[in-house]
Amino acid sequence: MHLGKMAGSVHPVQPLDGCLPLQISIGSVPLSLFIRERALFEPASRRYREFTKDSAEAFPIVLKQPETQTHETGEFSYLLDDAQLILRSRGAEFHGVRHEFALDSLLRILLTMVLLPQRGFLLHGATVVRDGRAYVFFGRSGAGKSTVASLSPQGSVLTDEISLLRYSNGSWQAHGTPFWGEFRAAGINQMFPVAGLYLLKQADHERVELLSMKQALRALLPCVLFFASEKRAHETLLRTLMRLIAELPCHRLYFRRNSEFWRVIAA
Amino acid sequence: MSETVTRNPKLAWREIDGETVIISPEDSHVHELNETASLVWKHAEGQTLDQLAQRISAEYEVSRETARADLEELLTALGEKQLVFVAPDSKD
Repeated sequence: MHLGKMAGSVHPVQPLDGCLPLQISIGSVPLSLFIRERALFEPASRRYREFTKDSAEAFPIVLKQPETQTHETGEFSYLLDDAQLILRSRGAEFHGVRHEFALDSLLRILLTMVLLPQRGFLLHGATVVRDGRAYVFFGRSGAGKSTVASLSPQGSVLTDEISLLRYSNGSWQAHGTPFWGEFRAAGINQMFPVAGLYLLKQADHERVELLSMKQALRALLPCVLFFASEKRAHETLLRTLMRLIAELPCHRLYFRRNSEFWRVIAA
Repeated sequence: MSETVTRNPKLAWREIDGETVIISPEDSHVHELNETASLVWKHAEGQTLDQLAQRISAEYEVSRETARADLEELLTALGEKQLVFVAPDSKD
């Protein structure tokens, strides 16, 4: 697979058999979703309403009928329950998507692949904006991502579940995503420069501990959403993460369930 | 007869702070090597056990016998995790 082909390639968007696309942009990745079924198009339109954006160069994703079966694999394929993602250099197909949740899951998987050659990735983390900079609080399920988001002012949370980090214009940016956990908000389609990363650790006090590069890599790896099984893709991911932790401070944040953690972060 | 060491070619890896992090792409399993194991990993490819033992002996100022014994123990552990392969040197 040549992931690099996807970066910067042009994908003219045209109606597909009379099916107009739902055009969205997530993490500055323009996507055209060709959804034939009304019962899926409408909930998808609602779900991604904050991420709607027209683009002449969007990456086309064609949703095939749920009963469609295929044994093709493309350059990358991923089977998730009954739904399947097939990624090619010029577009993707989603097979067997019966509801918006399956669509959402396949979109996340697709984004991990499309972002990879563009120094971007998805991370299990909440992102909160403070004074114009993004603070990324990451950790596995139950670490406290939604807790941190709930303790932050309304309108400052870019996501409480899946953060999107990407290197662009000379710095690391955190993008809002439509991928939410407990909050189930529509999301904010904006990006902010990343101030730092914080591995969440619930405790009986507040404290920030700077991690070494090795500790940071060890902390980040299990929290990155990644579905490829190719050596080259993993090498690209490692290179991206190494660059990230060389350029951004990564901490372990001990915190209680109150907003006092901002005090130690600000210090 | 000497034996030659090769790294598992399927693995992705990076050195960080003098230590090595290895990812197995098939199952995303992460392996971490300490400083000594990282030294062996870094220089292992295509080297014989004698050559590697000599390097460890020089680096850590231990006898060749000690280095060789430690190396064999380490390679057994790495081999069990499918990180390296040890094969008879084809030149023998």
